[in-house]
Amino acid sequence: MLMLPRRRTRWLSEALPLASFGLAGLFGPPGARAQSPATPQLREVVSKEVSVGSAEAALRLDLAGGADLEVSFENGVVLVDGEPVGGFQPGGELERAWRELLGSAVALENGPLARALVDWTVPADMSGEDADVASRIDGALEEALTADEAQADPTEPSVSVSLGDEDALLRVLLGSLDRFGVLEDAFEGLGPDFQVHVDEDVEVPAGSVVEGTLVVIEGDLTVAGEIMGDVVVIGGSLELLEGSEVSGQVRFADARIVRNQGVVAGGLVDVLEDEREREADLRSRLRSEVRDEVRSELRREIRDVTRMEFDDRDGFSLMAPFAAVARGVGGVLENLIVVLVLGLIGAAAVAFAGENVDAIAETARRAPGRSAMVGIAGTFLLIPTWILGAVALVVSIVGIPVAVAWLPLFPMAAAAAGVLGYVAIARNTGEWLADSDYPWTGWIRKSNGVFTIFAGLLGLVFAFMAANVISIAPFLRFLSALLTFAGVLITLAAVQIGFGAVLLTRGGRRREYWRSYDPDEAWEAAMNVDVDVDVEQAARGGTGGGRRGAGGTRRGGGSGTGDKGSGTGDKGSSTGDKGSGTGRTGSGAGGAGAGTGGPEAAAGEEGDHA
Amino acid sequence: MRSLIALAAAAALGLPSLAQGQSWRDVTMSRQLESNDPVRVYVEYGAGRFTVRSMDEGLLYRMHLRYDEERFEPVSDLSGNVLRLGAESVGRGVDFDKHSGELEIELARGIPMDLDLEFGAVRADIDLGGLALTDLDLSTGASESTVDVSEPNPSTMGSARFEVGAAEFTARGLGNLNAERIEVDAGVGELTLWLDGRWQRDAALALNMGLGSLELRIPEGLGVRLRKDSFLTSLDSEGLVKRGDAYYSLDWEDASRKVTIDLDAAFGSVSVVWIR
Repeated sequence: MLMLPRRRTRWLSEALPLASFGLAGLFGPPGARAQSPATPQLREVVSKEVSVGSAEAALRLDLAGGADLEVSFENGVVLVDGEPVGGFQPGGELERAWRELLGSAVALENGPLARALVDWTVPADMSGEDADVASRIDGALEEALTADEAQADPTEPSVSVSLGDEDALLRVLLGSLDRFGVLEDAFEGLGPDFQVHVDEDVEVPAGSVVEGTLVVIEGDLTVAGEIMGDVVVIGGSLELLEGSEVSGQVRFADARIVRNQGVVAGGLVDVLEDEREREADLRSRLRSEVRDEVRSELRREIRDVTRMEFDDRDGFSLMAPFAAVARGVGGVLENLIVVLVLGLIGAAAVAFAGENVDAIAETARRAPGRSAMVGIAGTFLLIPTWILGAVALVVSIVGIPVAVAWLPLFPMAAAAAGVLGYVAIARNTGEWLADSDYPWTGWIRKSNGVFTIFAGLLGLVFAFMAANVISIAPFLRFLSALLTFAGVLITLAAVQIGFGAVLLTRGGRRREYWRSYDPDEAWEAAMNVDVDVDVEQAARGGTGGGRRGAGGTRRGGGSGTGDKGSGTGDKGSSTGDKGSGTGRTGSGAGGAGAGTGGPEAAAGEEGDHA
Repeated sequence: MRSLIALAAAAALGLPSLAQGQSWRDVTMSRQLESNDPVRVYVEYGAGRFTVRSMDEGLLYRMHLRYDEERFEPVSDLSGNVLRLGAESVGRGVDFDKHSGELEIELARGIPMDLDLEFGAVRADIDLGGLALTDLDLSTGASESTVDVSEPNPSTMGSARFEVGAAEFTARGLGNLNAERIEVDAGVGELTLWLDGRWQRDAALALNMGLGSLELRIPEGLGVRLRKDSFLTSLDSEGLVKRGDAYYSLDWEDASRKVTIDLDAAFGSVSVVWIR
């Protein structure tokens, strides 16, 4: 409760014993200040560490005066300050008692903690070696935590108080303490009425009014009421609760403001602000140096901490999710670039060697197994052939100039054959996709080799792209790896089949098979249209007729003309296929083709004309 | 908080058998407050749950850490006026499936403090209310972080910096920081900044955002000027009027406290929400 003398004379009479006690306390350890000399003294616990694991339960204390204590139960051995004092049975009575003590020590600090530790004794029901060890622990705790009377701080200064006039004590207070020596300004200009409290907590309750200047030194001031004057807080703390009011200034030095929810008419003044500013440069330099050092260390450690072990090559950083996104998107783009490059090569091949591509593709389609076997055999023979060829050319003497060209050109030719075969397979794949009902394949024009090659290439690398996309998501790495594996298999198969088809057809110059006739494709090639699209448009336009007419077969014309059927007949059948109602083919065009067709063509013919 | 620590410790103490086969360790550390001198506090933490609070119990700090002792070790070091807290790695990496560590830190109220928080993949819940902050640096990697300044900062802060890598980051009560300048540097993520609290001075807020969304929650009555330098970033500037190169709140001229926001963003969205 607040006891505030209104007049300076009263303050002096009360302040003398208080000040002498407070001055000693200012320099002494805080814990010692609150202790009575008549009672057994406990050391102040400066810091505490309670560490509990499955195999260890330890207590570490830093005590006032630089002493420390460590008691640990570790792997069956009890250690006091690192020295074994006995053993314990894990899970036994002694360990349970110790862990129970630590459990209470966790929530206690300083005095209560020291008291709890000193009060701990050997459990009554404990006996044998456990009791002996517990007794040693008890003794160690008491010895460490109980301070002798003679443990006065040798560095404690002696302060003498001499009062020449009424303000002497205040001058002594300010002049004797270096830390307060700079604070004389704190009292400059204040009113004549001082109420000073040294080394004690002060509370101004709600509803109470304090007149004059209130000075609290080395104590905590809590204000809920009103102070009609100034407040000076030195070396303690200030808490202005909600509803509190100070009519003057609040001056503080070396004090902390715990809470400021009141009204301070004169504002807050940190009288050490100038000193702080003088220290600012030095602090700033120190801060930047320490910060840079600590930051670099922390960043390195955090990188280590957050690195995961399932990626041995690159590790997994904090940005791993975004690295995964970048990798996934990058992989897709990479595949698209491959498709683009190969597609352009394929387009060039179709443009300049369309017949060759046809022959290779047809062979791959008709005899994929044979092509694959030839491709595998050819792959295995590539290097021997290359070496033997070079050797043979060199041995022949006259072939040496050819060997010079042979060495680089053979691998290039082999690579070109592989690419050409792959492109041919892509074309077949694209045509297959064009005939399929898969979504997003409507754009593929089967009649256009470039379209089919690009579509086929996308189809062939689809597994890779899917793997890349899935790899973005966490925990799906297995599925991503599975898709990648599937992509590798598909690519190997395509390359081998294509390469084999290239070898079988001698680069497409010798047809193994003739391409079967596809009337839709022929029509599309001739008219540069897309059958499916046109039929759908016709159907929407109400021009009547189904795609192939009633009962008509799409392949009718092709079967009738045979593999090498004439173009006229083909087209005639083709147009007949479309039925008379499509409006595209015209009903009269079917006749010519029908004459060359077989039974199937006749069926188509009938259907068409029906 | 204190009871939670006690409960957690009691659970660990009472169930030692359950910890067999695991390497988890609970450690509680604290240190008495010996002076009111300013202190620089560095907190580092890699992964887990992370909380920071203020306290007024005569302690400089109290820390409770639950960690895998094979991979981490606690850090608690006071050298001069530099205090380092947290956990540092002693192993090569972290087993992702065992990320259930946690770090709880309580710091003394009212002590002038430079606070530097650096944490990685954590779920952070930070309440800076009651701390007398003179400087603040917060750096986080991929985290879900909430920073709440629940009480006005009794100290004056030059600048507060938030570096957010890839995170869901929410900061409340930024006005209570009592900072002249607040810098937020965000890489990728979702940011929500509440400009509420008691603004004791005019302030500048610099926002540098890479990819993501930013929501500015601004109390009515606070004067706001928003200057935007962005690329492919949408701005929902409800309640702001564009004059020249900047957007102004309607009461900019008359507002007792003004905040100037400099926004540098790319690929994202920025929205302004007014709160009562």
